[in-house]
Amino acid sequence: MRVGTIPSAAYDDLPYTRGGAVDRADVGALVQSAVDGDAAAWKALVEGLSPLVWSVVRAHRLNDADAHEVYQTVWFRFAQHLGRIREPEKAGSWLASTARHECLKVLKSLRRLTVTSDPQLLDRVSEDRTPEQSLLDSEEAAAETERIRWMWQEFEELGERCRQLLRVLMASPPPSYQEVSAALGIAVGSIGPLRQRCLRRLRARLDARGAL
Amino acid sequence: MNDDTHDEVTGDEPFGDDGFDVELLEEELRQAAAILDPVPAQLRQIAVEAFALHDLDARIAELTFDSVVDAIPVRGATDVPRMLTFRAGEVTVDVEVTAQGLMGQVLPPQQARIEVLGGPQTATPVVADDMGRFTSSAPPNGPFALRLRTGGEVVVTEWLRA
Repeated sequence: MRVGTIPSAAYDDLPYTRGGAVDRADVGALVQSAVDGDAAAWKALVEGLSPLVWSVVRAHRLNDADAHEVYQTVWFRFAQHLGRIREPEKAGSWLASTARHECLKVLKSLRRLTVTSDPQLLDRVSEDRTPEQSLLDSEEAAAETERIRWMWQEFEELGERCRQLLRVLMASPPPSYQEVSAALGIAVGSIGPLRQRCLRRLRARLDARGAL
Repeated sequence: MNDDTHDEVTGDEPFGDDGFDVELLEEELRQAAAILDPVPAQLRQIAVEAFALHDLDARIAELTFDSVVDAIPVRGATDVPRMLTFRAGEVTVDVEVTAQGLMGQVLPPQQARIEVLGGPQTATPVVADDMGRFTSSAPPNGPFALRLRTGGEVVVTEWLRA
């Protein structure tokens, strides 16, 4: 396995069409600062790219224990390869690709692919409250909570391809298509149309349910 | 209830004309993920602490063989040990992972001081004998790497999930 190389660099000329709180253009600079010993830059990379790594792991439906181990392995390896990564500005794709390979390896070693659809997820409330979670604390938020759970249930019941793609796309900040490509091993050019189709399907399911 | 998208489920028409806001729906999913399936806080913290693992001076021994990926499964054999080979230049490290622990050999045969790393804060020392052989009675509990000091050089194996 060669985790140090992204499968294809054929999409270099495509612009990053998406991007969120962490400007992907800054990723290369953050990596360089981290190489130079700047712990704050490293922390910023973790903050900005952790949700992407987690989304890739979740997209592959690993159980909690495996998901935690893959997530850690990916970050340990990233730290280890820091300074040796050929295209620092594509660290997101490097992480996504590494996470994908580790997930596939776990699935292969399991052999008997026990699908973990984790029904408890819907009842889980993280102890670490994000702003979004604090929203749920307010009294009028009960309906909102219900709506979100419905949406999540319908999302979970989408076909595997759509479920996987949307789970990666919903990382925050939104991943670039290049990162999505590295995360799932699908061509950059097919992501846009597939995304449209999957979101339409979800929309239809929600409409059928009378939600939203 | 809004039915106007039902006929689009087949998804064969060109995208862009969907009659609903795909961006908005994706953003709602993003919020749902942040609530129902966020990055666990302790994992985020471990990733922050992983900065301590960067070491620009060590050579990385890349994984060149992994029985999970490269070996042909033996029919009926269960609980076979995980066989791994790492290589950095002319130095090769063979490792066998079982429920009992780690066994391995550094090649070419040589003495080495080895640490079994289990994360940013966990390192268990083991010693390789003249033949380069080493054992550790503690099986890795999660991701691990080996740091070898041999001659004047430090070699670290790629982090791997046991």
